[in-house]
Amino acid sequence: MPGRSFPPVLGRALGALAIAFGLTCAALAQQPLKIGFGMSLTGPLAGNGKAALIAMEIWRDDVNAKGGILGRNVEFVYYDDQTSPATVPGIYTKLLDVDKVDLVVSGYGTNVIAPAMPIMMQRNLTFMTLFGLNVNSKFKYDRYFQIMPAGPDPAIGWSQGFFEVAMSLNPKPRTVAIVGADAEYPAMALEGARAHIKRLGLKVVYDKTYPPNTVDYSPIVRAIQATNPEIVFVASYPPDSAGIVRAANEVGLKTRIFGGGLVGPQFAALKTQLGPLLNGVVNYEFYAPDLGKKFPFLDQFLAKYQARAAKEGVDPLGFYLPPYAYAMMQVLEQAIKATGGLDQAKLAEHIHESEFDTFVGKVRFAANGEWASSRVMMTQYSGISGNDVEQFKKPGHITVLYPSEYKTGSVKAPYHENRK
Amino acid sequence: MSNKAFAAVAFVVALALAVASQLITNEYFFTAGYTVLLFVILATAWNILGGYTGYVNFGSAAFFAIGAYTTVALYNAFKAPLAVMIVSGTLVAGLAGLGLGYLTLRLRGVFFAIASLALAVVLYVFVVNWDFVGGARGAYILQPREVPFGMPRYIHLIYSVQLLMAALALVVARATERSTLGRGLAAIRDDELAAECSGVPTLRLKIFSAMMSCALMGMAGTTFPYYLSYVEPSSAFSLSYAVNSIAMPLIGGMMSWIGPLIGAVLLGTVQQLVQVTVSSAWNLLIVGALLVLFVTLAPNGIMGWVEARRRRKEH
Repeated sequence: MPGRSFPPVLGRALGALAIAFGLTCAALAQQPLKIGFGMSLTGPLAGNGKAALIAMEIWRDDVNAKGGILGRNVEFVYYDDQTSPATVPGIYTKLLDVDKVDLVVSGYGTNVIAPAMPIMMQRNLTFMTLFGLNVNSKFKYDRYFQIMPAGPDPAIGWSQGFFEVAMSLNPKPRTVAIVGADAEYPAMALEGARAHIKRLGLKVVYDKTYPPNTVDYSPIVRAIQATNPEIVFVASYPPDSAGIVRAANEVGLKTRIFGGGLVGPQFAALKTQLGPLLNGVVNYEFYAPDLGKKFPFLDQFLAKYQARAAKEGVDPLGFYLPPYAYAMMQVLEQAIKATGGLDQAKLAEHIHESEFDTFVGKVRFAANGEWASSRVMMTQYSGISGNDVEQFKKPGHITVLYPSEYKTGSVKAPYHENRK
Repeated sequence: MSNKAFAAVAFVVALALAVASQLITNEYFFTAGYTVLLFVILATAWNILGGYTGYVNFGSAAFFAIGAYTTVALYNAFKAPLAVMIVSGTLVAGLAGLGLGYLTLRLRGVFFAIASLALAVVLYVFVVNWDFVGGARGAYILQPREVPFGMPRYIHLIYSVQLLMAALALVVARATERSTLGRGLAAIRDDELAAECSGVPTLRLKIFSAMMSCALMGMAGTTFPYYLSYVEPSSAFSLSYAVNSIAMPLIGGMMSWIGPLIGAVLLGTVQQLVQVTVSSAWNLLIVGALLVLFVTLAPNGIMGWVEARRRRKEH
């Protein structure tokens, strides 16, 4: 009706409503963005879990220093999974139903990723995971993503570099020995190695596994030596990696190339424990100080990480897991910013379609959520003297042999002549 | 209350709880509840051999794992229905218990305890080398998308099944305790030689109680692969199952069926709460402190302490 104004009471009520709405919106914008996860802070993988947590906290602090994500400060809600799969369903249901977190990411490793998968699938959540081994091969969940650079087929990608390096030797090797522990990761790595051996037409002279609690590795190395292989591929967890490398030195293993899938030398604890015994070993790494120029932002991260790690008593180098834990969060951050919200379908779609610029380089995901291509670096240790950790922070002791775009040198063979 | 009446009450209560809990929308309740119920079954099962008979079995995790791996094997073979897996896992674990009993129950005290631990190691090595159930790599068990009885999620189903299985375990334990068999087992616990001299067929009773105890432990493990979706030897054979299944009856009281129930509910709930409120490191400390407390102040557990107080009042 022309000329007729709102009654004053109604006007005031609408005004109050508008102010209340504005305040509510402002309050919502100020609410922290809660990210929940379980992490191994006790139990056998606590060392790795704590290192990953430090990296994630550095990311959180970096993000919050820049004003947060979508104007919201990032807050973590996390519980110790005790490296026990049985605790995982309880932790994630608590995070989602009681703590009401906005997003969840995984803890460290296959054992704690897999039990969370049904919960993610039932709720259609986008799930960024940290160092799982081909977990999605059975679940085939289209919102699963994994940050370890093992490629779309981790079993194959893991040992690809080792066999490429081995076959670059002149004359080409013809015989191979493979050995590993009776455990989850070694079984996968050996399966991949067998596929490469078949593809390359190599003759297998030794293919055996040993119980994970083996103490003396000399008989195993002697048995391998008796078959006189030109290539020795080992897939082992840290305690056995130390045992096998020591045994190879004690027995005086003679072969052209030795190593491949030893877990442990990536960490400062084993690097310093073994020291010069590592010389000549060809093994996988995810980062080497020689590559500093290729990863310009990683130095800043490692400086922050190493300062905190020294105080908290975890891996003082942080070359293996922490940069990838940080990168996992960067992927999530970039996806949230690009999609402008927390819509799980949009986040997953964006992560599938995009390439992410992270501290560990450009990351693109395959359809199964693994890296689109493997970037497991094959390296060779050399010139290590003594057991000082500082030498490993400097370039010159870890030569990258594979892949070609990161190559910093050529393989030195045979192994026994480069052991010193 | 007669055994039949108790069984009827136990199953009605379990069924009522299962139905009532479907109204709860918080899924954490079901995951935490599942874990506590798992320990109720394990503790009750362990108590049949450990509490009633006095034979300490350190191999609980192995029988639990037998149940879990029977489920994995049947899933890999022909995606058997859950009910078939539960019955099969229980039977296989029962047979393994029969074998354990036959081979080791001539041993006494610490020698039997060590033999039961050795059996767990043997079974672990066997599973690690059995590729059909995943071997060292572990096996994935996918929860079906369709959940029966109109339940919204699979965890609701396995929680309800676990409730019924816990009721069954309690019924079996109570019936055993109050039967001739139970009196024979109590005689063995108090003085095996005297029991033997009095005509109690000790070996036969021990083998029977081992079989029953191990069968129930196996039953507890049958739903576990569906709970986790991924089973690998080190988690299925985790020492924490063995430790908890001994600690819970110790705290609750080993002389009657209700002791393990109280111990499991108390310790299981405390563990669940502490894990998400304080920290896991404190969690272990609290369990340890509770054990020390009960062993020193109430060596017969909560039920023993209550019974002692009642007797003191009567006199």
